[in-house]
Amino acid sequence: METFLGVVIGGLLIGGLYALIAMGLSLQYGVARVLNVSHGEFIMLGALTTWSLYTAFHINPLLSLAVCGPAAFALGYVLHRTVYRRILATSPSPGVFESNSLLASFGLLFVIQNVALIAWGANTRGYSYLAVPVSLFGVLFGANQLLTLGCALVVGVAFYVFLARTRVGKAIRAAAQDSTSAALMGVNINSVLALCFGFGAALAAIAGMLISMCYPVTPVMGIPYTIIAMIVVVLGGLGSIPGSFLGGLVLGLIGSLVTYIEPSLTLVAYYLIFALLLLVKPTGIMGR
Amino acid sequence: MLQIVDVSARYGKTQVLWDVDLVVNQGEIVALVGSNGSGKTTLLKAICGLLPLSSGRVEFLGRRIDGLPPHAVVDQGISQVPEGGRLFPDMSVRENLEMGAYPSQAWGRRKETLEKVFQVFPILKERQRQLAKTLSGGERQMLAMGRALMSGPRLCLLDEPSYGLAPLLIAEVFRIVRGLRDAGVTVLLIEQNVKHTLETADRAYVLESGRVSLEGKCCDLLQTDYVRKAYLGL
Repeated sequence: METFLGVVIGGLLIGGLYALIAMGLSLQYGVARVLNVSHGEFIMLGALTTWSLYTAFHINPLLSLAVCGPAAFALGYVLHRTVYRRILATSPSPGVFESNSLLASFGLLFVIQNVALIAWGANTRGYSYLAVPVSLFGVLFGANQLLTLGCALVVGVAFYVFLARTRVGKAIRAAAQDSTSAALMGVNINSVLALCFGFGAALAAIAGMLISMCYPVTPVMGIPYTIIAMIVVVLGGLGSIPGSFLGGLVLGLIGSLVTYIEPSLTLVAYYLIFALLLLVKPTGIMGR
Repeated sequence: MLQIVDVSARYGKTQVLWDVDLVVNQGEIVALVGSNGSGKTTLLKAICGLLPLSSGRVEFLGRRIDGLPPHAVVDQGISQVPEGGRLFPDMSVRENLEMGAYPSQAWGRRKETLEKVFQVFPILKERQRQLAKTLSGGERQMLAMGRALMSGPRLCLLDEPSYGLAPLLIAEVFRIVRGLRDAGVTVLLIEQNVKHTLETADRAYVLESGRVSLEGKCCDLLQTDYVRKAYLGL
């Protein structure tokens, strides 16, 4: 029983991070139709910035949220306003836009990664914050890990409420479901798409900040997270933000279970789920 | 109120509209009829900013609106029931209506407007918590029309509101269109159901192959041999 609880809680701990990352990508891919391969680079930027602030200025990692979140939002917003908007304006069809923006984000991945390599160097970094064991149902967890899950849930739920209740949030959901119809209701589509891109980048950076509290960080850490985010977005259902959140938790649980049985098979299991899903239910858990 | 002057438009290399002139005066129901592919929906897209004009101009209340993006056209006071309704399927009926009140001047008054729309469409009040995709065809059309009223428009563009509906519902849709005019909303109605349309509207334009082939008061058009033969099958 204790091992079972351990597996479940362990799964939620990692699943919370997956959920945040996937929600971010869901906004960028599900709404703005940019399959942002550089998503993980924003996670990396958030993680390394938090590391720098903590080691150089002893700034509490949670406080670096106030720096990473807005900075990543601004970067994502400006990127959409400049790069992706231009691609959108010159693409004759949605399909062309998707492939061209995918290529652009690939380029962005290398640019951001190499700038980070120059700025931070290739070394693996880490710091110790709240790394004290806490017993939960007889299983030991790091206090920092539990804090990570708490933060991920708070941010995830807060963002969900923002989407469900506010005028801008509703415009984002409407644009995700039918962007032309949303424009005919008076929604400025270009600015909503840029907002989505900004929010996606901010969620990634916040996830990066949380990851840095528990795991080592390097300038090349981003890509595995990008791939996991893509799996979760498909698992949860393209364009469904609650689906991404749920999908993240589900994938975390599956990962935790497989890791318990045979750690080397975790990634294999993720890809297997991805492949099966595309064959059996390509619309995902909550997709249309 | 709305003046369309010498408008031409094209999709890529294919020209779809040729020097179209059309006027809608305040308080009128003006109909635009024509067969499939005659350019009706294209003209609507040109008015609301979804398709750039290749020449000509569109004026609303004396100001040019061609070249404005769709959301800016809505802000001028023009709302639309797009072809097929184009609801937001995974949003509730109420949220769909709220989206209709998205322009900032309408958003603050959305609760009062909502009550008014519920009076016109009582079925939407009953269904307000349901997702739009669970509605029947008729209810969807009611929702699309209700949503177009939520911005408090001066002019409402309706693209085939009766399409695909049962005869009883069609009559109901046209009754509502007349109700719009009585409520002070000017209407530009695009329809394939020529008989009902000419009986409802004040004036009509007949579009054929992207050109206006006939225009006039509906009562006069109903008497012309050409309309009776080509569109009414009499």
